[in-house]
Amino acid sequence: MARRKNELPPALKSPLETKSQDRARAANLASVAEGKLKLYDPQADNVRKFLDLLEQKINRPLALSFAACVHCGLCAESCHYALARPEDPTMTPAYKADQIRSIFKRHKDWTGRIIPWWVQARSPRNDEDLNLLKNIVFGACSACRRCTLNCPMGVDTAALVRFARGLLTELGIVPEGIFNVNRDQWETGNQMAVTEEEYLETIAWVRDELEAETGIRGIEVPVDRTDCDFIYVINPREIKFDPRSLGDAAKIFYFAGEKWTLPSWGWDMTNFGLFSGDDRLGAYIAENVYQAAARLRSGRIVISECGHGYRSTRWEGYNWAGRDQTLLTESVIMTLIRYLQQGRIRVDPARNPEPVTFHDSCNISRSGDLVEEPRWVLRRVCADFREMEPHGRENFCCTGGSGLLSTPEYRPLRLEAAKIKAEQLRATGAKLVCTMCHNCVDGLGDVIKHYKLNLKVVQILELVARALTNKHVQS
Amino acid sequence: MSSSLRLLENEVQIIALLFMVIVYVFRVLWIARFKPTRERTLAAGGERQGIAYSLLNISMPWSMEALRKKPGFYIQFVIFHIGVAAAIAASFIIPYRPEVFRIKAVVLLFQVIMGAAFLVGLMRLRRRLANPAVRLISTPDDYFSLILVIVYFAAAMLAVPNRHAAAEWPLILFFGLTAFFLVYVPFSKISHYLYYPFARYVLGKTLGHRGVFPLKEAKEETALGPPKK
Repeated sequence: MARRKNELPPALKSPLETKSQDRARAANLASVAEGKLKLYDPQADNVRKFLDLLEQKINRPLALSFAACVHCGLCAESCHYALARPEDPTMTPAYKADQIRSIFKRHKDWTGRIIPWWVQARSPRNDEDLNLLKNIVFGACSACRRCTLNCPMGVDTAALVRFARGLLTELGIVPEGIFNVNRDQWETGNQMAVTEEEYLETIAWVRDELEAETGIRGIEVPVDRTDCDFIYVINPREIKFDPRSLGDAAKIFYFAGEKWTLPSWGWDMTNFGLFSGDDRLGAYIAENVYQAAARLRSGRIVISECGHGYRSTRWEGYNWAGRDQTLLTESVIMTLIRYLQQGRIRVDPARNPEPVTFHDSCNISRSGDLVEEPRWVLRRVCADFREMEPHGRENFCCTGGSGLLSTPEYRPLRLEAAKIKAEQLRATGAKLVCTMCHNCVDGLGDVIKHYKLNLKVVQILELVARALTNKHVQS
Repeated sequence: MSSSLRLLENEVQIIALLFMVIVYVFRVLWIARFKPTRERTLAAGGERQGIAYSLLNISMPWSMEALRKKPGFYIQFVIFHIGVAAAIAASFIIPYRPEVFRIKAVVLLFQVIMGAAFLVGLMRLRRRLANPAVRLISTPDDYFSLILVIVYFAAAMLAVPNRHAAAEWPLILFFGLTAFFLVYVPFSKISHYLYYPFARYVLGKTLGHRGVFPLKEAKEETALGPPKK
């Protein structure tokens, strides 16, 4: 049956699931008891709370993005959801932003307060309306900021989406997957609930594997060493699913003669505060990292390959935590560049002969500062590097950003929107797609599987480690 | 010239203009009431360059992929806004420098500009009605504002010859609409030009600080390596 005009896709009609919230309430988790992790209360006046929160949390940049939209619709040209579903006007970024903008207008804008229908200003009526808003802001936008850079007025739709997410998270009106990760980060300090024992065991395993691979006895993956050049903070995925990535980094650091350490606490640089819009969670997780660096008297913080982790730790975290940045905080890509420039590691691009293309993470290229840098490294470690089009600041999202990988209810829509990414990947003719983001690894993996592309996802550390020709540690 | 037209061209316009200025001052104060944000990170780029780039972004259609894909949209934008500027200029020239519109070439130039803007306005209205995505996000204010500007262009075209001895109604229509505009604009989407510099300033400052603005080509790599951070 044909879909009715202007009707939201089925994935955006998901009801609010609260099983995990009910379990958290029953278990009386510390984060719940301390009021950090918010649970949904069907008896509460959630609309009133939502409006109060909007009043409290709005700031000037957001107000300007609310007020400045002229409804030109140009944003539809840059959004992968809108491009993949040209027949569906509800995928237009301005429409998605209007779901929260209309509430702002109703309560903050002069015209919207006096004659709301004239500017389509309205208030949510009940929790159903808030749930609909949840589905749109969590399920139909990866907050990639492509529309922001393509808006003639400078409207930051991604920031509006995150703002709406933050208000809903305060009410417990969140997708279950996002709630679960928020809970784990509040409760354990990392998003995959990795225990300290599991963390240390995996590190020991990585060290043993490295010894076996290189034949070098005494190779180290240090933990909590003080006065190092840097602490290395990672994505829990590197402990739970992909320790190879940590092994590659340790191998490179070893040959570069680096004095580095992992912290035993504050090692997770990923941050679901960015995705859920919860600035308090964002501040807590980022602060863990900054405090670890201070505790270990580290010279700098080096962030492993992760898009949102880099953005959260390098950029947003200091602002969320209300802490002025004093310590250098850099991506591991900058560390690699230093090693290559100083001759501390030697590489042979012939060891990576397959055609490689590079996928820019949205959080690094459009909300961060690294575009040329990963390419600088790749051109030195790969024999056949080729760009995808568009690339750099204009690259399309892997489609798994902004927490969408944790929300299976929105997966069909996400994979449909991934058509744009799939076509972009296919056109490169590459065999490997490299990215400097663990989230993109999974996002691209999904796209490749769904669209049956003959591609493998790799990361920069992996390619550099493979290209290494060092036999001795550089002083 | 009748006394009512003289009143409409002068005192009424001044009062309406004053009203608009006062409301705009309140608008700016309204924006200032929202709490500002503070950047606490070490910069990777220049805030000033970011702000300059952001504010000039609209004069660089090549910098936005959406406009590169739709150059016609940009041309329409330019014509439409030049038309607005010409119509506003006409509302000052007619009462205060009427001799300018005694030069036929100037009148013709204004009429061509506003005629083109009028056609673009109709095209924009058609797009707003025909494109499902734009129609869905359009409010009554969006339609009304656009129709108002289209009618204003038509009125300005008829008014610029400034032949009040022959017929006053084109001038009465034009100045009546101008006065209405001045009063209505601060409450409508047309006030976007007031927000524009603020919104672009804020975005430019943030993205300039992070080294995102000015946008760079990914291929920019010097023999000395990537840019220093």
